[in-house]
Order: sequence, then C-alpha cells, then structure tokens
Amino acid sequence: MGEVTEDSKPKYGLAIFWGCAFFAGMFGVPIIGRYLEWPQTAIMVGMLLAMSLLVPMILAIAKQGAKDGSVTPAMKAYNRRVLIWSFAYGIALFGAITIYNEYTPTGLTLWIIAVFPAIPILWSIWAMGRYLAEEKDEYIRARQVQNAVFATGLLLTLATIWGFLEMFGVAPHVPSWAAVPVWAIGLAIGQLTGKLRSA
Amino acid sequence: MKNRLKILRAERDWTQGDLAERLEISRQSVNAIETGKYDPSLPLAFKIADLFDMAIEEVFLRE
Repeated sequence: MGEVTEDSKPKYGLAIFWGCAFFAGMFGVPIIGRYLEWPQTAIMVGMLLAMSLLVPMILAIAKQGAKDGSVTPAMKAYNRRVLIWSFAYGIALFGAITIYNEYTPTGLTLWIIAVFPAIPILWSIWAMGRYLAEEKDEYIRARQVQNAVFATGLLLTLATIWGFLEMFGVAPHVPSWAAVPVWAIGLAIGQLTGKLRSA
Repeated sequence: MKNRLKILRAERDWTQGDLAERLEISRQSVNAIETGKYDPSLPLAFKIADLFDMAIEEVFLRE
C-alpha cells in the first residue's frame, strides 16, 4: 500500500485524450467554421465549448496525480487558477471581438478593448510564478522548473525558426500572442514526458 | 547519491505514504529520493536523518 510500484504506473491516457480533444476543438472549430462560413458568434461559442474540455483534462491529471502522490496543495490552487483564467480569457476575447465588431471603437477605447483579452493571460503568467513560490515540495518544484525551462527552450526555438521562415516569405505571419499557448504546450509536453519518465 | 531510506522505512514498517506524511512532502518525492532519481536539499536531508534519529551520513552514502 502506498508504494509507487511497477503495477501502479501513472496512466495519463485519459488526460492526453482530453488534451488532444481540447486542441482539436480550439483549432478545428475556427477552421471548419470559416470553411462552412459560420457566423463569428457561432465560432466563438464553439471555441468556448472546446475550452470547457480543459475541465475533464485537469480533473483527469488531478485524479492520476492523487493516485501517484504528486498532487500538492499549491498544485491544486494552480489548477483552480488555470481553469478560472482560461474561461476569463474566453469571455474577454469574445467580449472584445463583439464590442469591436458592433461598435467599431476608436482611440483610447480601442486600445482598452484590444488589451482586454491580454489581462487573463497576464494573470496566468502570475499564477505560474505564484505556484513556484507556493510549492513547498522541493522535488515537485524542481520538476516544474525543469518543465518551464523546457517550455521556454521550445518557444525560443520555434519563434526563432518561424521568424526566419516568415522573413524569407515561406511561412505566414503568426501573431505574438501565440507565445503563451506555445509555451503552455511545451509545459504540458514536459509534464507528460516527465511523469512517464518517472513512472 | 545512494541512500538507505527504503531499508530504514521497511524496518519501521512504514509505507512511502507514511514517510511522506511524516516529512510533509509528496509520496512521489519519497519515491524519487529512495530510487536515487533525486538528491534532497541539505535541509530535507537533515530532516530525514532527524526523523530516523541518525546522522546524515548513516542515511545518505557516498557513491
């Protein structure tokens, strides 16, 4: 009892499934929506629904984490914050685009509307910093720092390659806000490979 | 770094969960230290030694 043994190896298949479903929805809905010429509101609602797949993904990770003894109070707080900011981001983006389309604001109002969706993202960056400060378990913290370094390396690599591809006109422009989702994907890859390695 | 954590724990009939609770760390941390995947910090190493009422070099061994 209580041992992390060969027959109790962590199983993250369910979390990976929900994670893949989340990304498929987030990228698939706008692509299919544009192809089928859905109204923008329908695409936004579809993306918000796809975003809700984060809930079962985080719950699956937390459930498996509880089994393999890797869930700490700081991690629970971080997961809760991630869910809140994800939905806040969805609503802020939806709101900003709707206001922009309906009222075509200009000047300072436009600046405020444009920056509005960034606020929950900044909150997510704060949440990561807060997590590292609150995490009392030094092994788990060291592993998360490793994951964050891996994610940063991945982001810098992709940004550098993509930047030159763009400069030579062989790749389309990618908006700079893509940095955070790419970093988050790197963090998830680091966490999953780390968990599988330590299994 | 090698250590005698698993033996010391077994002598007291403690599970990894029991030891984790006593040290106020996660069970996965105990597992990582026991299997030599992670070397604890000096404060945690002293805490482990204190728990077993031993000197630190009696728990952690030079390679």
